[in-house]
Formats: sequence, structure tokens, C-alpha cells
Amino acid sequence: MVELQPIHEVPESFIKRWIFSGDHKVIAKQFLWAGLLFLAFGGTLAMMIRWQWAYPGEKVPVLGDLFLSAQGGVVTPSTYATLFTTHGLIMVFWAITPLLIGAFGNLVIPLMIGARDMAFPWLNMASFWVFFLSQLMVIASFLVELGGAAAGWTTYPPLSTNVGTPGYGQSIMVAALFVTGIATIMGALNYITTIIRFRAPGMTYMRMPLTIWAMFLTSILNALFVPVLGSAGLLLLFDRTFGTSFFIAGAAGVQGQGDPIVFQHLFWIFGHPEVYILILPAWGIVGDLVSFFTRKPHYWYKGSVFAMIAVTVVSAVVYGHHMYVTGMNPLLSHTFMLLTLIISIPAEVLFLNWLHTMWKGSMQLTTPMLFALGTIFVFGLGGLTGIVLGTISTDIYLHDTMWVVGHFHFTMASASFLAIFAGTYFWFPKMYGRMMDEKLGRLHFAFSLIFITLLFGGQLAAGYGGHQRRLFDPYQYTFLEHLLPLNRAVSHAAFALAFGQIFFVINFFKSLVSGKEAGDNPWNVGTLEWTISSPPPMHNFDVIPTVRRGPHEFANPDVKEALGRDFLYQDEEMPENVEEPQGALAQLA
Amino acid sequence: MSGLRHIKKWIATVPVLLWSSSSFAAVQGEAGIGFPRDVSVDGERIDWLLNVTNGFALLLFIIMCVWMAICILKHNKNHTPDYDYGTSKHSVYTAITVSVLIFFVVDGNLFYNSVIDVNEIFWNYKAAETEDTVRIEVNARQWAWSIRYPGPDNMFNTKDDIVTLNDMRVPVNKPISLQLGAVDVIHSFFLPNLRIKNDAVPGMINKLWFQAKETGEFDIACTQHCGTYHYKMKGKLTILEQADYDAWYKEAQINSERDYDDTDAQAHWGWKWREM
Amino acid sequence: MSLAADIGPMGKVIKYAPNERRDWNAFLGMVIFLGSWIMLFGGIFLTYGALRARAEIWPPLDMPPLPLDFPAMNTLVIVLSSASLQIGLNGVKAGKTHLLQWGLPVTTVLGTLFIVLQSVVWFDLWQEGLQFTSGPYASVFYAITTFHAAHVLIGLGALLWLSIQSWRGMYTPARYLSIRLWAMYWHFVGIIWGFIFLTVYVL
Repeated sequence: MVELQPIHEVPESFIKRWIFSGDHKVIAKQFLWAGLLFLAFGGTLAMMIRWQWAYPGEKVPVLGDLFLSAQGGVVTPSTYATLFTTHGLIMVFWAITPLLIGAFGNLVIPLMIGARDMAFPWLNMASFWVFFLSQLMVIASFLVELGGAAAGWTTYPPLSTNVGTPGYGQSIMVAALFVTGIATIMGALNYITTIIRFRAPGMTYMRMPLTIWAMFLTSILNALFVPVLGSAGLLLLFDRTFGTSFFIAGAAGVQGQGDPIVFQHLFWIFGHPEVYILILPAWGIVGDLVSFFTRKPHYWYKGSVFAMIAVTVVSAVVYGHHMYVTGMNPLLSHTFMLLTLIISIPAEVLFLNWLHTMWKGSMQLTTPMLFALGTIFVFGLGGLTGIVLGTISTDIYLHDTMWVVGHFHFTMASASFLAIFAGTYFWFPKMYGRMMDEKLGRLHFAFSLIFITLLFGGQLAAGYGGHQRRLFDPYQYTFLEHLLPLNRAVSHAAFALAFGQIFFVINFFKSLVSGKEAGDNPWNVGTLEWTISSPPPMHNFDVIPTVRRGPHEFANPDVKEALGRDFLYQDEEMPENVEEPQGALAQLA
Repeated sequence: MSGLRHIKKWIATVPVLLWSSSSFAAVQGEAGIGFPRDVSVDGERIDWLLNVTNGFALLLFIIMCVWMAICILKHNKNHTPDYDYGTSKHSVYTAITVSVLIFFVVDGNLFYNSVIDVNEIFWNYKAAETEDTVRIEVNARQWAWSIRYPGPDNMFNTKDDIVTLNDMRVPVNKPISLQLGAVDVIHSFFLPNLRIKNDAVPGMINKLWFQAKETGEFDIACTQHCGTYHYKMKGKLTILEQADYDAWYKEAQINSERDYDDTDAQAHWGWKWREM
Repeated sequence: MSLAADIGPMGKVIKYAPNERRDWNAFLGMVIFLGSWIMLFGGIFLTYGALRARAEIWPPLDMPPLPLDFPAMNTLVIVLSSASLQIGLNGVKAGKTHLLQWGLPVTTVLGTLFIVLQSVVWFDLWQEGLQFTSGPYASVFYAITTFHAAHVLIGLGALLWLSIQSWRGMYTPARYLSIRLWAMYWHFVGIIWGFIFLTVYVL
């Protein structure tokens, strides 16, 4: 089953070692930096949106002078359209994706399964640089004539064709989507091959950490559904540049032209799996961290794995709930409604498993654990507010309101980002050999959780009042006038949230330079990455480990008596006189 | 020639715009957090279902938070953790039972009621077609709603049609049946006070119906991002007593017929009513 | 084994992975890649299906119908090219390197012939007034055929390079991974053409 993997000599030239490197850990760091930069970028755009809702038409402080000086520092309607469009696209494709999948996927997959590198190091490197190219294209889309992309992150035609957005910015953005899609597919096929082929001896599927399971399932979804977005983007580009008419329809009631709704089908065939692509790794990380920091085995590990597999499978057939009000066939709508609701069963199993893992554990409130708990908290809020969007009659009212915005910001934005921070605080020692500061970390956590809840909770409240999405000036509508104080308060929460991120930035750079030396295993965790030095050598493992048990072997009293610690490494032999426990044996199958 | 026609058209819309903008102040405002005032016969079904489901959700969320709080406070780092993999039959069955139970209660109630509401009311366009049904065609464009009543001949796109811009008037307690089209990009027709919404898609005709139970003036909103001035795509829905409606209808019909210009091709939209 | 293979992206290789196993990884990677690409073409065909379903008459009355003769020939050409490539691949597996050395150029020539014939079809239709801007019918035809032809061109570039390498004696029964992968790609492009021929030209 297992490969004989080569040990490579460390390249001497700086460029080969740190820039055009095939080393998965270097690529992970590159993704981390690139993703964090674009996270700051996307966040800045969000601040301007929030300013506009709080103080419509007033000059944006600081940011206005920096970015909008040509128009007197105020947000105009067309700038506003570009702001929310690019905010969405950047956060989804250029912040969450590279951080959660690019950075952590690259870092932990080989380390956690006991491999020396990815299956295709060259491809891995290419994946990052193609991704980087797409980032440059995103920046370029702001600088061209007639302004940046402005058709919403969903890029619905005909608005996204030349009919609605004639600027080059929109074309470049669609092209950048295609390019980053290629990078994602490269990464996905690398991850899948690596996980299938490069697991250390004894690392059976049912002994893999949940993070690896999640990365595996995410990669499968990526490999299958990102190309569908690619096809939609490609045809849209044809419409924009060559004058074809796939998605451009004639005036009212005129049939026989292109069909704008097909784009929505393609977009959501991709788009719904995409939200699980962005949340599955978060679930995996949370599942592992909850066990690690309650010093207790993960409750019904197999159940969590099967729940994630079930979500992966079902996620491919529920996309229609994004399209209830497009005039879709009612029979189809009802089918999608039932399938959508079914997805709540595996999600409940996952939640119950996390909660059960905590129960009667020994909770260590380290920063990564705090963020993992925060992820559960916000995902709970987000998931529960999503049920009413899955059924038709309630969705008719809530569709395209701020309720939807609040819901998906809780789930795929907040939950993903909190899990990203959990992962960063957790694996930072492995990446850089130094611990991050706990005090600053806790401060960062408090700011993040409190203001995320207020911010997106406020959006949910606005949505209940019927507040539509994407309004430059919501107070044009009489029925929304009374929401100005609410929106203003929520905007202040948003500014506070942004302010809280400064603690993370300080912490990150401070720890990079002067953090406490981490040692091999600062968290006392038994997965394979903690058996080697921090940071690991380029080939990771001098000897490929032989795995003997699952990733969550905690709290065994016999082990504690024999070894004086409460956990066992995955590749460690049982101390003498201690029997392999029943629970662990149950996982062997 | 064509320029002249346009000028004429624009001049014709000026009084309409002036009149409608001056009277927007009369539209009912809202207060507090929650749904806008419900003036429809069936909207309470949606409100009820939303409130019940979100009540369930809140309950589950509180249970989750209490559970986590107990774990954080009681099962803290001084607590000796249980050595439990949760793989016993008892544990597994409990997890599955709880999940399925929640599913059947919360999602089951939601699904059941939603299917009934949708099939019997909101998407039941057949039931909306009665003797008294008012038929209206709405054509969306960047960034206004063109509204067309069929006139006495009950046919659309004829000389006797009533055509308005952003101004829809309907009688109270009568089913109103709408068909939506769009000229340029996708729009979405939303009546927050009547809890209904449907997209207006170029190349398609979508349907919508409602029945109001109160008179008053309310906003018509666009919920699909349709370009730079999406936020300005606002119309006004006026719900009138039958007698007032009839009076307005009569006058508007005479005005429309008088202003009919058969050289203005752009004004001649309208499609054959799509029967169910 | 040549020396070039000893230098990986991470420096000099000290210990070798057994060849077949490394090949198996690459094979798996290629299968996943082609799976992705099936979804990409799937999305395009889905759009085609939807546009076709809502059109009342296909092709529209004022548009020239698509020819069948040249595309049929092209189908034959692409089948032959796949066959010649497979013969070459089987040859190098069995140690008959000359089969590969002739199979690759023959495939390249057939692939070029395919492009030439396809260009004739494009040219004729363009002359008859079927252009990019002529509506969904033309959109579907040009988008699908040009996107496919772009894949053929990429394949041709690779085949040309592989031909040169094969005459340099780079491929042996122990080392023919790139031939195998590009053959998978070429067969895939051929199968896609089969679908295009059936759904776009014949139906």
C-alpha cells in the first residue's frame, strides 16, 4: 500500500528553497500569507460597505482618502456595486479558499498522514503560482477603465454580460475566477492522490484525523464542481468578448434567445458544494481540536466521518434552493426542498458528536480551543437560521434579504474564519517553531466572537424586516427607514470587529520574531505532525512512521499510569501491560 | 423623428414621476424590529411558520449554549476526562435518535406547512383566477417597474390598456394576479407587506398573486441586484377600496387611451396572458 | 534511467521510488484531472441542452444547417489518431520502440488534419453567415467546437514534443509515463469529439 518515498536534498539556492519551492510546508506558508493579505483586503472593502449603510453619502474616514480620493472620498452607487461584488468574490475565492484549503491542506495533509511531501510537488508549486496570478488579476480588475466587477459575487447574467457591466474589470474578474479555479483543481487532485497513496503504513482511512477526512472530501468536491463554475465562467467570457448569446435573453416574453437561468443552474451546481467546500475543513479542524483540548477521544469518530461523507454527497443535489424564486418548475423545487432539509440530519450528528466529546472532558481553554468553540457557536447560529431558507414558502419572503446575508456570513464566513484562526493558533508552532501569544489570542477571540455575533445577528434582524441585499441606500424605501439606527449600530460592531483583528496581526508578527520556543509537541497531542521537530525538516519524517491507532487516543487511565501522560502518539507502541482498548479497536475496521 | 418621440415620452413621464415622488411620503413606515406590517390575507402563514421554526431554532441554540457552558465551567481542566469513544450501541442509537427526532419535529413541521402553503396558496395560480381577479402585467427595466392593466377588452398590448410607471393600484380583498417580465437584466418583484416575491427574468414570464386585506400605500421593492441604481428601483403599491379603485381605473383608462401613441414602439410591450 | 529524472523540484533525488508505483500516482492524478474536465465539458453540454430545449426550431430557419460530411470524416480521423497512438503506446510497453517512433508522428499528422478539416467547416459556415453574434445556435456551435479544438491543439503540441523525444530515444519499456498520460488525454479529447459529433452535428 505504502510508497517508498524519496528523501530530497535541501536545495541550496534561496529561490528554490523559499520561493519556487516544491516543499509543501513552504507552499502552505505562501498560501497563508497570500490569503491573509487578501483577507485584509476583503475586510477593508466590507468596512466601506458598512460605512455607507451607517452614514449614507458621507465621506468615508481614512479609507475614503486612501482609495476614493478621485470622487471626494464618498462611496458612489457604482463604487458601491464594485465594493460588494469584489468583497464577496475576494473573501470566498481569495481568502477562505487559500487559507483553509491552500494553507492548512498543504501543511497538514503530508504531516498528518506521515508522508514526506505531496504526491506532485511540482504541481503543488504551480498551483500556488497560478493562484497568485489570479490574485494579480483581481487587483488589475480594479485599475482598468470603466471600473471593476460590479455584477454581484454571483455574477448573474445578463447583468454580468456587456448589457449590464461593460467594463473590462468584470471580464478580468471572470477570467480570474477561471484561473483560480484551475489552481484549485490542481491542488485538489494533488490532495486526493496524496491521501489515497501516501498514507503511512497502518494509517487506515478510519485512523485518519478528521481534518484529513475533511480535506479529502473537500478536495473531491473541488475537483468535481469547480470545473462547472469554470464552464459557466468560460461561456460568460465568450458572451462578453465574442458577442455570443448564451445568457443574454431578449425583452419581456420573447423566447428563443439565450437563457440567463442556465447560468444560475451552473453557478449553483458549483455554488452549493462550494459552501461545503469552505465549511468541511472547518468541521474537520473543529472535530479534532475539540477532542485534543478536552483530552478525551472524539465521540463516535465513525459517525462524524460518515456524517461528513453524507453531507458531501447530499451537497451535490440540493443547489436548487438558491433558485426558488426564479420560476423553476415547482416539482423540482419541492424535490430540492426535501433534499435540502435532509442535510440537517448529518449536521446534527456532527454537532451532537462535538457536544458529546466535550461532555465529561477536561476542557483546556487554549486559544485554538476558544476559536474552535467559537466556530461551533457561530455555525450553530448560522446553521439554525438557514433552515427557513431551505423551504419554499419561507424563502419566498426571505430570499435575497439581509437574512440570507446574515445566515451565510455566520456559516461560511464566520465559521470558516474562526476555524482558520483556530488552525493558525494551533499549527503556528509547527509552521514557525514558536508559540503565539495566548493573551493577545484571547483578546482577539473575545473581539471576534462578540462582534461577529452582533454584526451578523444584526443583519439577520434587518432581514426579518425585509431589508433587501445590496442596497446602496436602503433608506430610499419607506419600510426600511426605521432600520437606520440598527444598521448604524451593526456597522459599529463591524468596525470593532475589524479593530479586534489588529490583535491578531500584532500577535502574528510578534510571535514570528519573539514567540516562545514551541518544542516538538506543545499541545500534547498524538497525531503524527507532533512527533517531529517544529518546524519539521524538509523531508518531514526521517523514518516513515507506522501507525497503530486513531488520532484521538486520550484519557486512557492505564496509559497514564504507565507513561505519566494522558495521550498516546498514533505511531507509538502500547506500553507493556496495557491492552489496546476496546474503543480504539472498534476503529480498526 | 425618433428623438422627438423620445422627448414626447419623457415629457409624458414627468408628471407621473413628480406626482408619485410627492406622494411617497404617504407610504406607511415601520417601527421596531420584525416583519413589516402584514396586509395580505395569507401572509400570516409565512410569519407563523418563520416564527415557529426560528423559535425551535432558538431553543436548540440555547440548549447547545447551556451544554457548552456546563462543559466549560464544570468539565474544566481540573475534571478527570471520561475514557469514552462513544462507540457503544447505546451512544450511537442516542445520537441517531436525537438527530432524527429533531429532524422530524423541526424540519418536518416546516416542510409539511411549506408544501401546503405553497401548493394551496402562494404558487396556486389557478385558485387566483376568479371572476373578480385583477390581472396586471409588470415589465421590469433598469430601474423602474412598468405596469399594465388590460383595459375593458381584457387584452394586453392594446390601445385601451392602462399603463403606469412605478404606480400599482389594486382593490382590497380581491385576488390580484401578476405576470412579470424583464427587458434588460434580472429583477425581482418584492412586496414586503404582502410577503411575496418572484424574479422578473428576461425571456421568461413569471407569475405572482396576492390578496390584500387592508387599504394603504406600500413599497414595491427590487430584491435582485440589477445594476448601479438597484436601490432606486422602487415602486408604490396602493391598495384601495373597490369604489375608489373603480373610479381611478375609469379615469386612468380614459387618460391612457387619449395619450396612446402608436408610433412609440417602445411603449408597446405586453404579452398574451399566460393561462395556467 | 536518464540523469534528468534525478533532479526533482526539491533537489537531487537520493532514493528512488519504484517506477510502477510512481506511475500509478500519476495515473490516478490524471484520472482525477479528466474527471474534473468531464464536469467542465458537462457544464457546457448542459447549457447547450437547455438552450436547445427552449428553442422552438433548431437550427433557426435563417441559419445554415451544420454539415455532416467533414465532421464525419473528422470522426474517422480522430478514431484513427487514437488508434495509432495506442499502437505506439502498446509498442513501447512491449519494447518495440519503433512503433512508438512512427505512431507519434502519425498521430500528430492526423491531429493536424483534424484541425484543418474543422477549419474548413468553420470557414464555410462563417461565409454562409453563421457568426459568433448570430444567436444561441451559433454560440453553441462555435463555443463547443473551438473550445474542443483548443484542447486538440494542446494535445498536438505535446505530441510533437513527445515525437521528438521518442526519436531521441527517451522512452523505454521501463519509462513511458508521459506517453501513457498524454494517450489518456488524447483519448479523452477524442471521446469528447464523439459527443460533439453526435449531439451538435447529427442531432
